[in-house]
Amino acid sequence: MLLRIRRASKTYSGIPALIDADLDLLGGEVHALMGENGAGKSTLIKILAGITAPDSAAIEIHGQTVTLSSPHSAHSHGLRFIHQELQVVRHLSASENIFLGQAYPTRFGFQVRWKQLHQQAEQVLARLGIEHIDPRRTMGHLSPGDQMLVNIAHAFVGDDLEHARALIYVMDEPTAALSEAETAQLFRVIGRLRERGSAVLYVSHRMDEIFTIADRVTVMRDGRVIDTLPISTITPPELIEKMTGRDLQHIYPARTEAPSDQVRLDARGLFTAVVHGATFTVRVGEVVGVAGLNGSGRTELLRAVMGLDRLTAGELWLDAKRLKGHSPSTAWLEGIAYVPEERRSQGLVLSRSVGDNLTLPQLASLSIGGWMLAHGRERQTSQNMGAQVRLKARSPAQTVRELSGGNQQKVVFGRALVQPPRLLLLDEPTRGVDVGAKVDLYQLIREISGHGTGILLVSSDLPELIGMTDRILIMRGGQLAETVSSEGLTSERLLALCYGNMDHVGSKDR
Amino acid sequence: MSAQKIANPQPPFAWGRFLRTFGTLIGFFLIVLFFASQRPATFMSVRNLLNITQQVSILGVVAFVMTVVMVLNDFDLSVGTMASLSGIVIGVLLQAEQPLVVVIIAALVVGMLGGLLNGLLVAYIGITPFVATLATLTIFGGLAFSVSGGRTIFGAVFPDALTEFANGGIPLGTINEQLVRLPHLTIIALVVLVLVWFVLEQTVFGRRLYTIGGSMEAARLAGVRVRWLRLLAFVITGVGAALAGAMLTGQLATANPTLGDGLMLNAIAAVFLGMTMSQEGEPHVLGTLVGVLLIGVLANGFTQLGVDTYIQRILTGTIIIASVTLSSISRRNR
Repeated sequence: MLLRIRRASKTYSGIPALIDADLDLLGGEVHALMGENGAGKSTLIKILAGITAPDSAAIEIHGQTVTLSSPHSAHSHGLRFIHQELQVVRHLSASENIFLGQAYPTRFGFQVRWKQLHQQAEQVLARLGIEHIDPRRTMGHLSPGDQMLVNIAHAFVGDDLEHARALIYVMDEPTAALSEAETAQLFRVIGRLRERGSAVLYVSHRMDEIFTIADRVTVMRDGRVIDTLPISTITPPELIEKMTGRDLQHIYPARTEAPSDQVRLDARGLFTAVVHGATFTVRVGEVVGVAGLNGSGRTELLRAVMGLDRLTAGELWLDAKRLKGHSPSTAWLEGIAYVPEERRSQGLVLSRSVGDNLTLPQLASLSIGGWMLAHGRERQTSQNMGAQVRLKARSPAQTVRELSGGNQQKVVFGRALVQPPRLLLLDEPTRGVDVGAKVDLYQLIREISGHGTGILLVSSDLPELIGMTDRILIMRGGQLAETVSSEGLTSERLLALCYGNMDHVGSKDR
Repeated sequence: MSAQKIANPQPPFAWGRFLRTFGTLIGFFLIVLFFASQRPATFMSVRNLLNITQQVSILGVVAFVMTVVMVLNDFDLSVGTMASLSGIVIGVLLQAEQPLVVVIIAALVVGMLGGLLNGLLVAYIGITPFVATLATLTIFGGLAFSVSGGRTIFGAVFPDALTEFANGGIPLGTINEQLVRLPHLTIIALVVLVLVWFVLEQTVFGRRLYTIGGSMEAARLAGVRVRWLRLLAFVITGVGAALAGAMLTGQLATANPTLGDGLMLNAIAAVFLGMTMSQEGEPHVLGTLVGVLLIGVLANGFTQLGVDTYIQRILTGTIIIASVTLSSISRRNR
């Protein structure tokens, strides 16, 4: 046994976050850690990382009792961490990021031997099976997925993977920013670690990933470990039931009424710097999905509709009215609401209160005469919206930074609904959100579309796209390649459509 | 087996949070108490306290409007030379025998144009505020010299109405047979304080400024017209700086191309002192007020104690460092 935790407990200002948690990691296993946000996963990980001191805990590594008093001591005991938030220096090269905190190869002890550094970085990447990233490139110019791969490479540097003793890797939602292809690459890396006898503690909210990669799963709820069992003995619905403590027969609520025939958004021949031609419509009450690989222009399609990226050609019509001089501020005024991809940097002002964030886009219409704040009206609106999206916060005055990921996302949603929007643009609305909050958000999407709002939904979660939408637009290389009905579509078929030609080539071979 | 046990039955009083919010204010009162104990007869007299408000009024106006751009996470380094330029404009126009009202308005218009230039450079061209306003600092200073020919304007050019107003006040009554006045400059500073407080804390405009300061990208995506609002903020700061220049020139009956140059650093220091008082480290104009008063009380008290002005500067700087350090240490510990 590589790692053994017994009776780990932690209380934050009187509120228990972790209660008598036990966890065993075996050499050569991928161990999934599942639970809703606030279930105690992060607290357990922070204790392992030496960031948080437990109130009480007995931790053994390789059979020896240890105290993880600092990140340094965690590292020296063979624990390695890959966090969901990117920890990179954007203006340095990939090589420098990989070797960050390590000694660079030097001549005379001070002159950096860049060529050697880049070669070593290439080797580190190659060992992980990553060959498409040039380590000389500036980090900020790499795609988010590639940045994550570099970040992961950083966690492996300095360890001799071939001969070293077995290590313990803790990965906290490493695939949040990765495309399908990059995820597959990461899984190959994880496979190698497993073969060498290392243990991987893998945290993810994505059910399909857990069932692909994990050997065993530990489920946490309300600070306690509920169960640990082999993944082969459980089904996804059972797992969700264990996590939430409730029976979730239908994650994707069925739609109650068919969309109308009336066209809400009519996009004609859209071109921007990234989007190379997109003509489509969204009808009143319709949920239209947008699928595509990372970099296919999914996000940019929404940005074009929102007026964030300049149209080089094409027209946008909302309810048969042409949108001219289109910008985010006019978009909100026209009744287009937007839930952006990165909730922490784009969706929210973390330093401000829940109330300030909820009322931000509609602040003028909530004010007196369009310019003077109406504090009472704002508070009322915040409370109403908070209730509508089932937000868990102390009060509208609480700082958004203090909320969990799922609740932060509910604030971004609530904000979009302060004035019932005519068109709602959702970019990865459930990424990094726990299952309970996800179900809340899905029900919310149904309610909103039931009131006639047209919805454009971008997501990398293919079952979510199929389960929630009426039609799906397939983006390939910046182009709207085709539109398919979600009825009867499978994830495999949808993924093949994203890659294009794949099934076509496949059928030829057969 | 190691059992790390930390008994923690109930949360202790949050000293860090308390110090972070009130440390600067407590420090301010301690300093007042210190001077009061050293010079009980003179320091705490109503007359002296009102005197202090007059002494800090000009710095106050600059610091209050500096708060507006600092809410955006921006800076305006050009406020000092803008104040000098404004004074020179007043002096030169008075020499040309223009009516006083026209002269004052002209100075404020110059401030508005300067702010407009800063705003265009920062918000629309995209130069970082530090570089843009460092450049305009130089430009405004150069303009002040070239318009005045490098000379100091003083004496009879300035009408009595201006100097008497700037040095006078509203009589409040007599204490110990001495007439006590509420200085006009203090009233102007209070009006600016209330205006800035209202704009920042009670209007849609102000809320949006704080939002931009929190996250420019999130604000833009939420429909806030970031560039336009940033431009307006710089215009407000420019006009405020010109007003401070007019107050300074009126008080001294002198216009000199370097008269206001020292205001900028103290104004930024005052805003920083005020920022130590807010939870999220955002500037608030009432915090700035405490910062301004702290700087003013130190100057006044040290002078009464007969501390050399050079030593005063060293001590003032040290106290600013101590306050900001205390605040950032308690912030780090949370």
